[in-house]
Amino acid sequence: MTPNLLVVGETAGATLSAATAEAVGVARSLAGPSGTVVGFVAGPGAASAAPAFGAYGVTRVLRVEDPRLETAPVAAQTRYVASAANAVGANVVLLGGTTFGRDLVGRVAVALNASAANGVTELEWVDETLRIRRPVFGGRATETRRLRGGRCVVSVRPHAFPIPNGPAVTSAVEAVPAADVPPGLLAAKRTTIESASGGSGPSLGDASIVVSGGRGVRAPENFRLVDDLAASLGAAVGASRAVTDAGWRPSSLQVGQTGRSVSPQLYIAVGISGAIQHLVGMMSSRVIVAINNDASASIFRVADYGIVGDLFEIVPALTAEIRRVRGI
Amino acid sequence: MEIVVCLKPVPDAETRLRPLADGSGLDPEGVKFVLAGYDESAVEQALLLKEANAGSKVHAVSFGSSRWTEEVLRAAIALGCDTATAVERSAGTPEDPLATAAALRNAIEALPHDLVLLGKQAGDDEEGLVPGALAEMLGLPHFGFVVDLRWDPASQRLKFGRSAEAGQETWESPLPCVIALQQAWNDPRTAKLPAILKSRRALLGKANPPTPTADHGRSELERFALPPPRTGARMIEYRTPAEAAEKLVRILKEEAKVFP
Repeated sequence: MTPNLLVVGETAGATLSAATAEAVGVARSLAGPSGTVVGFVAGPGAASAAPAFGAYGVTRVLRVEDPRLETAPVAAQTRYVASAANAVGANVVLLGGTTFGRDLVGRVAVALNASAANGVTELEWVDETLRIRRPVFGGRATETRRLRGGRCVVSVRPHAFPIPNGPAVTSAVEAVPAADVPPGLLAAKRTTIESASGGSGPSLGDASIVVSGGRGVRAPENFRLVDDLAASLGAAVGASRAVTDAGWRPSSLQVGQTGRSVSPQLYIAVGISGAIQHLVGMMSSRVIVAINNDASASIFRVADYGIVGDLFEIVPALTAEIRRVRGI
Repeated sequence: MEIVVCLKPVPDAETRLRPLADGSGLDPEGVKFVLAGYDESAVEQALLLKEANAGSKVHAVSFGSSRWTEEVLRAAIALGCDTATAVERSAGTPEDPLATAAALRNAIEALPHDLVLLGKQAGDDEEGLVPGALAEMLGLPHFGFVVDLRWDPASQRLKFGRSAEAGQETWESPLPCVIALQQAWNDPRTAKLPAILKSRRALLGKANPPTPTADHGRSELERFALPPPRTGARMIEYRTPAEAAEKLVRILKEEAKVFP
């Protein structure tokens, strides 16, 4: 039996999120020549986002048009995802591992009586089951699991897989009839949404580059050095716990055990000593650069590249060089 | 308000991780288990809600080996939780988050529950599957990545924020529901000595473990391994900050290939 995959799309404005595109790429390589990949999209923006599956080579897309989903919790989509998976005979349901995808996986798995995994970085179809690998303990270990039971629901870690390059096709988009959503799942309402792009730069969870500042920055007004470096790279800004505890930056920017876990392509730690609290939130980044004046700081043990020096000299020079090279 | 808070004992963050010789899991020898960070926040949040809403009760539940569940449950009682229920992991129960959700469901169904609170994920598997799976089993809506949770008695709604990639959302939801917290208090309350002593004598309830054959949880751990050790950073030699910057940019572009 080959894997037949349903990719549950997440909308980003009028199109699909990058995490969804990455999931499609994974789905296509798992399906190989004989398996199938079907796209699925529901909620705000579904109508305009559905054809975007075609850019990644998906020929068949199921689209839910249910106005109740516009402000309903993600849980309300569960019924639709489950009925779509049943309708297309999917034995693997894939999602991008953003807050959207991670929130849905466990729920959909129970609804489909399937096994589940979140945030995987490797997948392999072996003996009619999916074998997955994922980082655990903040990247300090990995686990390999076999997802048994004939069906599974999996989210893939953002930035761990490339966005597929065409060939682009025109997707056939089918509208899915309204499902029976229990009223209890529709009682909650999203009242406002404050766009992250209203600020400058991408958001922490989304960014492929993150620049974080720590205690070494010494004062809140100096944090603009970190902001400027991030801006030169189009990166998101993060902070260590010392910085958010001191109130220099909001706690929503805290990277670490009690903050956010990030795994960008490039992580630059500025004036961060590397307490385990912080390391577990960023250690699975692909490339780590540390800038610190203390050569014995533990951040250098997990970093790929290090610069020992005064951040007040190094960081402005680095920002200037990046701007020069990028021509901005 | 009857609040259930779910607690997971996880290896202390400072633990040196050693896989078992056959790679079948983490060697538990000498590992100290503590309450998962976000679950600690969930206890704090539950107690804040209890204090703000007279007549509320907080029920702590935990699933795992009895040695560590008992420890985290007694700690929860010492902090001010009203009751505690353990679900013991039996030998046949798979190490699977869906089996964990089924175990917690067994405990929660026997308790009054307007609100089920838990951390968005635990610091060991960092998987975050339990909140949604548990909510689906209980037939309740759930919300993940929640911050700034409060109860509004006038509208009889929970009001809270939710941090998603696209931005910060605000929500209102009636009870009952399941909430998984993104919120972290870096300085949650600590228990007073008399409360700790009293918690040692508290009666802990028990609930049935899930049925391994019939209930969910069919993923099988094949291998637990450490990544190849990081060799430490390659230090960039330089005479001037400009030279350091130039060398780093060249490396990011040509060698690491992560330059935008």
